[in-house]
Amino acid sequence: MNRKHLISPKSQDKLFKIFAALCTGLVLLTLLVLLIDIGIKGIQRINWSFFTNLPSRHPEESGIYTALAGMVGLLFFTVIIALPIGILSGIYLQEYGKRNKLAKFIEINISNLAGVPSVIYGILGLQLFVRTAGFGNSILSGALTLALLIMPVIIVSTREAIKAVPDSLREASFGLGATKWQTVRRVVLPASFGGILTGIILSTSRAIGETAPLIVVGALAYVPFVPEGPMDQYTSLPIQIFNWTSRPQQGFVVNAAAGIIVLLLFTFILNGTAIYLRNRWYKKTAI
Amino acid sequence: MTHLQSELKLLKTDIIEMWELVIEQLDKSLISLKTFDKDLTREVVSNEKRVNAYELKIDRDCENIFALFNPVAVDLRMVLATLKINSNLERIGDIAEGISKLITSEKEPFDQVLLECTRFQLMFEAAILIVNDALTAFDKEDTKLARTIFKKDELLDEINADAHQFITIYIKDHLDKTEQALNVLSIIRRLERVGDQGKNIAEEIIFYLEAKVLKHK
Amino acid sequence: MVQKDSYITEGSPYGIYKLRVEGLNLYYGTKQALKDISIKIAPNTVTAFIGPSGCGKSTFLRCFNRMNDLIENVTITGSVMVDDIDIYKNMIDVYQYRKKIGMVFQKPNPFPKSIFENVAFGLRINGESSKSVLQGIVESALRQAALWEEVKDNLNKSALTLSGGQQQRLCIARAIAVKPSVLLMDEPASSLDPISTAKIEELIYQLKDQFTIVIVTHNMQQAARVSDKTAFFYLGELIEFDKTDKIFTNPSKEATQNYITGRFG
Repeated sequence: MNRKHLISPKSQDKLFKIFAALCTGLVLLTLLVLLIDIGIKGIQRINWSFFTNLPSRHPEESGIYTALAGMVGLLFFTVIIALPIGILSGIYLQEYGKRNKLAKFIEINISNLAGVPSVIYGILGLQLFVRTAGFGNSILSGALTLALLIMPVIIVSTREAIKAVPDSLREASFGLGATKWQTVRRVVLPASFGGILTGIILSTSRAIGETAPLIVVGALAYVPFVPEGPMDQYTSLPIQIFNWTSRPQQGFVVNAAAGIIVLLLFTFILNGTAIYLRNRWYKKTAI
Repeated sequence: MTHLQSELKLLKTDIIEMWELVIEQLDKSLISLKTFDKDLTREVVSNEKRVNAYELKIDRDCENIFALFNPVAVDLRMVLATLKINSNLERIGDIAEGISKLITSEKEPFDQVLLECTRFQLMFEAAILIVNDALTAFDKEDTKLARTIFKKDELLDEINADAHQFITIYIKDHLDKTEQALNVLSIIRRLERVGDQGKNIAEEIIFYLEAKVLKHK
Repeated sequence: MVQKDSYITEGSPYGIYKLRVEGLNLYYGTKQALKDISIKIAPNTVTAFIGPSGCGKSTFLRCFNRMNDLIENVTITGSVMVDDIDIYKNMIDVYQYRKKIGMVFQKPNPFPKSIFENVAFGLRINGESSKSVLQGIVESALRQAALWEEVKDNLNKSALTLSGGQQQRLCIARAIAVKPSVLLMDEPASSLDPISTAKIEELIYQLKDQFTIVIVTHNMQQAARVSDKTAFFYLGELIEFDKTDKIFTNPSKEATQNYITGRFG
C-alpha cells in the first residue's frame, strides 16, 4: 500500500486549515460589513431625543420611545408568564416525571416545539388569545404568544441544567435524610441555577428579536402613546424598525439603522450576561 | 498512632513479656541449682507451658499482621525479626526446662568443687546476661548493645570448650559422682546453646534495626 | 488482635446486633441481584464487603438505608433489621430513618456550597437554624473527621476548593453531623491517592468507637486493614462471612481463597 499521494498528507492538512480559515473569515467579514454599514448610517442618529421622542411623520423628529416602552412591557409580561410555567415544567419533567413512553413523547414534542417557525406561534396566538380569549391586539396577547414561543426553550434549558447536576449530589442529599422537595430546593436548584438563568436570558433575547408573530397578533406600527397596562395596544422595537425600513424617505432608513444598533446592543448585553453567568456557574460546580 | 503501629506495639509488648518469662525461667533454674530447691525446678517445668502459649500467640499475631497489614520496610523487618526471635526464645525456654529436669533428677546437691572448676556459675550468669542484654537491645532499639552479645557468647564457647577436659579430670578423682558430673556437662552444653540462641537474636535485632544481614559471616 | 476478639460477642440470639438481615432477595426487574442473604453485624465494629465487580456488594450496602428505593423496578423480599426494627415495613418514615444511617460515597460529592454549609446541611433540613448550635456541631463533626485543623480558618470557602481527600473527609463529617449510629461507606477511598486513602482508613479505625461501620471495597488490603469482619460476595450470594483475620489467613471456602489470593478466573 505505497500509493503516491497527489499532495502529501502534510500539505493536505495545511490546505484544509487554510480553507477553513477562509470560510470563517468570510462569515466574519460579512458580519463586519453589515455592522459597519449600520453603524455608519445609524450612529449619527443616536442621541437622547431618539430615545425620548414619539414616532412622527418626520424622520428627524421621530424616536423609539413608544417602541422601547412597548418592548420592555412585552418582555416583562412574557417573562412573568413563561418563567414559572417553564421552569416548573422543566423541574417536573426532569425530577419527578416517570421515565415512560408518554414522557418520551412529551420530551420529543417539546424539543420539536422549540424548532417551530415563530410565525406559526403568531397564528396560534391570533386565534387563541386575540380572538377566542378576546384580549384583542393588546400587550397581553403579544406577551402570551411570545411566552408560548420561548417556553420550550426554557423547559429544555431548565432540564439540561438540572440534568447536569450530578446524581451523586442527589444521593448525598437523600443519604442525609432529605426529602425529594428538600433535595430539589436545597441542592438541585442552587447547583443548576446558573444554567437555568442562562436559558432564561437566551430565550429572552430571542423574544426581543421576534417580529413575525407580533405582526400576526396585531402589534401596531404607529402608536403615539406609551402603553399603561397589559390590555393596551403597543408596538415593539423590531416592528418599528420593520416599519421604518418600508418607508421611502432616506431619513427613516437612518432611523432604522439606529434602531437596529439599539436592538443589537440589547441582545449583546443579554447574551454577554448569559455567557458570564454560565462561566461562573461552571467554575463553581465543576467537580 | 496508626492502626498498624498499635498492632506492632502490641506485638512488641507480647514478645517482651515472653522474653521476661524466659529470663525468669533461667533465673529460677540457676537458683534451684545453687539451693537445690526442687519445688522451684517443678515450677520451671510447669511454666514452660506458658512459654509455649506465648510462642503460639505471637506466631498467630505475626501471621495476622502479614495477612492484614502487609507491613513494609522497618515494619516488615520488625515482624520478621519478632517471628524468628519468638522461636529462639521458645528454644531457650525448652533449655531452661531441660536444665530444671536434670536438676530434679539429681539425688544430692551439686558438688561445689565441680561447679567451681568448670566456671559453671559464671557461665550460667553470662548466659542469662546475654538474654537480658538482647531484651534491652530489642526494647531500646540499641544495636550497639546487641553487638556486645557476640563477644559475650565467646566466653560461653570458651567455658564449654574447656568443660570437657575439666569434667574428665573431675570424674577420674570422684568416680562416685560420675553421674552428677555428666549432668553438669550436659547443662554446660545446653547453656552454650543458650548463647547461640542469644547470638541469633542479636543478629535478628541488627537485621530489624539496620537491615544488615550478619548471618553466616 | 487481642482487642479484636474481646468485643465481638458471638452466639447470643437476639438484640445485640445492630444490623440483622434475613433471607434478603433483591431483583432489578426480573434479574435477581442478591440471593437469599443473611448476615448479622454487631455494634461498633467495622464490617467490610468484598467481591468482584457486579457481585452485589454495593447493592446490598444500599439496602441498609433504602437507597435502592430511588431506582425504579427494584423488588426486595426478606427483612433488613436495624436495631431490631424492620426497615422495609410500611410504617417506617424512610426520610427520618435515613438520618440514622450515614452514607459516604465512592466519589467525594460535596455540595457546591461552603464547607460550613456542607456539614450543616443535614441539620438544616432537620429545621435547625440556630447559628450557635450549628457552629458547635459543625466543629465537632469536622474534628471527628480529622479535618478541623485543615479548614477551621476557611469554613466559608467553597467545599470544591478542597483536595479530593479533604473533600471525602468533609463528606464523612457531613454524614456524622446528623449523629447517625451506622455509617455506610461505598468504596470511600477508591478515587483517592495513597496518602489520602491511609488517612481515611485511619479515620474509619477511629470512628468505630462511635459508629457501626459497613464498608464496601474493591481493595482487599483495605478490607484487611480496617475491618473486624469481612463478608465475601460472589454473583449476588454471600459466600463467606467471618472475622477478618480468619478470612485473610484461613478462609473456609475455596472461592474466598481464590479471590483473596488473586487466583480468581
